[in-house]
Amino acid sequence: MIDAHADQDWRAWFAEHGARLRLIARQWTRSEADADDVVQEAFVRFWKHQRHLPGDPNALVVTSIRRAALDLLRRTDRRSGREQAVAAEAETMTWFEPEADPCQQALIQSLALLSAEQREVVVLKVWGELTFDQIGEKLQVSPNTAASRWRYAMEALRKHITARAHD
Amino acid sequence: MTDPDHDLTSALASLRPRPPGPAVTAALARELDPPAARRGVILAWSTGLAAAAALVLGLYLGVAPAEAPAPSYQLVRAEQSPANVEVLRPVRLDDGSFARPVRVRWDSTTQWEDPRSRTRFINFRPNETTTLLPLETY
Repeated sequence: MIDAHADQDWRAWFAEHGARLRLIARQWTRSEADADDVVQEAFVRFWKHQRHLPGDPNALVVTSIRRAALDLLRRTDRRSGREQAVAAEAETMTWFEPEADPCQQALIQSLALLSAEQREVVVLKVWGELTFDQIGEKLQVSPNTAASRWRYAMEALRKHITARAHD
Repeated sequence: MTDPDHDLTSALASLRPRPPGPAVTAALARELDPPAARRGVILAWSTGLAAAAALVLGLYLGVAPAEAPAPSYQLVRAEQSPANVEVLRPVRLDDGSFARPVRVRWDSTTQWEDPRSRTRFINFRPNETTTLLPLETY
C-alpha cells in the first residue's frame, strides 16, 4: 500500500506508483498525452497539498486524478465529434508494457471489449487497489453498482478468454 | 469459500502498465523540486555564512596568542655558599654530660635557562642544620 505520509522523496514514490496512476488516468482521458497531463497535475496537487492529510493516501491520489481528468475533459469539450469517437475506442494494447505471453496479450485485448464503465471499475479495483465502497464514492454510484459492474466485467473477460482458447 | 475471480484478478494484476514518460518526470521536477533561484539564494547564504565563519575563525586564530611550547630549561649554574658555622655555648644535658650546639647555615643556588624564550629560572634554597657536639669533661 502507498505510504506517502512519510517524508519520502517524490521521485521514489512516483517511480513506484506512477505507472498505475497513469493507467487510472487513462480511463478518463482521450489520449496518452492527456493521461500524462492529468497524472502530472494530479500528482503535484496531491504531493504538495494532500499527502499529509489523514485517510488513505491511495484514495486521495485517485480522487485527485479523477478531478484533474474531469477538468481536462471540460476544457477540451470543443473537440470534434469524430476525434472524440476515435479516441473513445480503447487502445488497451498501448496501456501496458508488451507481453510475450499469449494469455496476457489476450487479456489485454479483452479489456478493450469491456464497456468503459466496467473497465474503470476493473482498473480501480486491480490497479487502484480500492474497495467497492471507495470505487462507488469516486464514480458517484453505489457500492453495489460498482460490485455489479465488476462481476459483469469478470464474466465477460472469462468468456472472451475461454472463447479464444477454443479457437 | 473460494473467490472465482481470484485467478483472473491475479492475471490482471500481473500486467504491467506503461509508466509515464520522462517528460512527466521532468515537469514534476520543475514543480516539486526547489526552484533553481531559491536554491541559488540558499547556496549564496550558505556560502556567505561559511565565509563569515571562516573569517571569524581566522581572526580568532590570528589574534589569539598561540599556545607557547613548554619551556625547556637547561642547568647553567650551580652554586653553594660557604658554610656559616655558629658555635654556641655548651649546654648541660639531662644525663649530666655537656654538649656544644653547633648551627651550620649555607645556601644552594641553581640557575636554569631556556635559550629559546630567554628566560631564567633561579632556584635559591637556604639550608640550616643544628647539631650537638658532645664535650668530654675531665
